[in-house]
Amino acid sequence: MGYRKWLKYAVLSLICAVMVFPLVWMVALSVSSTSGGTTLDNFAYIFSVNRFGRYLFNSILVAGIVTAGNILFCFMTGYALARRKIIGGKLWLYTILIVLMVPAHIVIIPIYIMMNKLGLYDSYAALILPWLVNPIGIFLVRQYISTLPSSLEEAARIDGAGEFRILFRIVMPLCRPALAILAIHAFMTNWNSFLFPFILTSSEQYRTLPVALALLLGYQSIDWHQLMAGSVVAVAPIMAAFLVFQRHIIAGITAGAFKQ
Amino acid sequence: MSLKGWLLFSPWIITFLVFWLFPLVYSFVLSLTDYRLLSTDINWTGMKNYVRLFSDPDFIIALKNSFLFVIGTIPFTTAIALGLALLLNERFRGRTFFRAAYFMPSITTMVVIALIFSNLYARDGYIHLLARMAGLSPPENGFLLSTKTALASIMAMDIWMASGYYMLLFLGGLQTIPIDLYEAARIAGASRQQQFWHITLPMLKPVTLFIIVINSIKSFQVFVEIFVMTKGGPLNATFTGVYFVYETGLRQFDFGYASAAAYVVFAVIGLASLIQFKLLRTEWRS
Repeated sequence: MGYRKWLKYAVLSLICAVMVFPLVWMVALSVSSTSGGTTLDNFAYIFSVNRFGRYLFNSILVAGIVTAGNILFCFMTGYALARRKIIGGKLWLYTILIVLMVPAHIVIIPIYIMMNKLGLYDSYAALILPWLVNPIGIFLVRQYISTLPSSLEEAARIDGAGEFRILFRIVMPLCRPALAILAIHAFMTNWNSFLFPFILTSSEQYRTLPVALALLLGYQSIDWHQLMAGSVVAVAPIMAAFLVFQRHIIAGITAGAFKQ
Repeated sequence: MSLKGWLLFSPWIITFLVFWLFPLVYSFVLSLTDYRLLSTDINWTGMKNYVRLFSDPDFIIALKNSFLFVIGTIPFTTAIALGLALLLNERFRGRTFFRAAYFMPSITTMVVIALIFSNLYARDGYIHLLARMAGLSPPENGFLLSTKTALASIMAMDIWMASGYYMLLFLGGLQTIPIDLYEAARIAGASRQQQFWHITLPMLKPVTLFIIVINSIKSFQVFVEIFVMTKGGPLNATFTGVYFVYETGLRQFDFGYASAAAYVVFAVIGLASLIQFKLLRTEWRS
């Protein structure tokens, strides 16, 4: 290797250290204690003294249902936009683009009031209902289906297959790449989300991991090592998903950005 | 037009009407009233809330801090993201690894990032120690408890976190540049620097515009970091627009006033995006 190449690797590695260091620091703190030495006590502590088991369960449940909802509903709506004539079809496409541009902070107060009036404040429904279908997902499916030839669907229709069958047995399997991208996107966004779960719940029963962690900072009863153990629990699934689905995630980001 | 089409599309219609259109309209209506939690009579106040906002020193500071946050992060994030993308654009051994490593912070839960940096920035935290070792004199009680460094520290964290994400968008943009252009330039005897200034940079204009606009919209709404790390303090040093909405609306339950603030912040974001579009578009054409 020439010295230029060495230099390049040196620069790349230095940046890498800066990017990864805080995450390594988190892990290092989580497996050590104030008295020094390696330990897993912090994890035992947050699961027994704090209710991290509950928070973890809530995070998994909410993100899981939202992801399943996104797969089903983004597929249905994306298909309808691509293949069916809907009154004001163009207009509905605009609503999708508009929502992408609207900052979430403007709807937090009305949604807070609405959830209270509906008796849904502090419930799973409040965490799940607003996010079951999301505009980026609809857009992704619509674009994807537009590139598919409709001949398969027509052939099935001539063979006498019902709409339901065509939709879920023929078109849906073809959309698997787009659905994979939107599922991962939905899961990660929901798993990481803080603002809405924070303002729409109050009891520990419905608390998700990010909300629990944010509220625990500053408590006398918990130290940095325990907080970092909780943080590891909160990011481990995301890191695992990232390592497994790296290509899908990156494809999702670039697709979202360039197909507009 | 078909009934089935409508049925299939109904999830979005319902979601849009219930969770977007209605709240948007309701929020605006609220902003014209004095509605508070548990208030029995609600009165129309017209533009009173808006007038009050612009004589409220807290709101002025919040807007100023939001602007500072956007102006202080976006040039750095964009430049670093472009630099990283250029470093990783060519194929070489280990490229996928480095790309993943740089991208990692931006998929990590924001709350967790904020917690880690709260620790690093604290008195005797790692960054605090490092700054002292470098001969600097960091604030006595850590970076987040000083009015001089609190906002800048959160901004630095945000730049660190977001660069990898925008790097990916730049990488996507770089791949859309036809290789023929570079070959033609090489044949014409253009140096690497010339190729960068005359081919790469102009061809990246649309992605750059996109990145600046979406990053501005995002950065203007900064909230989670502030909530976890400083709660708007010390002495309002990190008090931002969306934090003002949260504070007045969901802690003091002054719904009308908070909604007005939310609309002003919304308008500012919309206006800023529009100006950016206009400015960067015309510059691009000339």
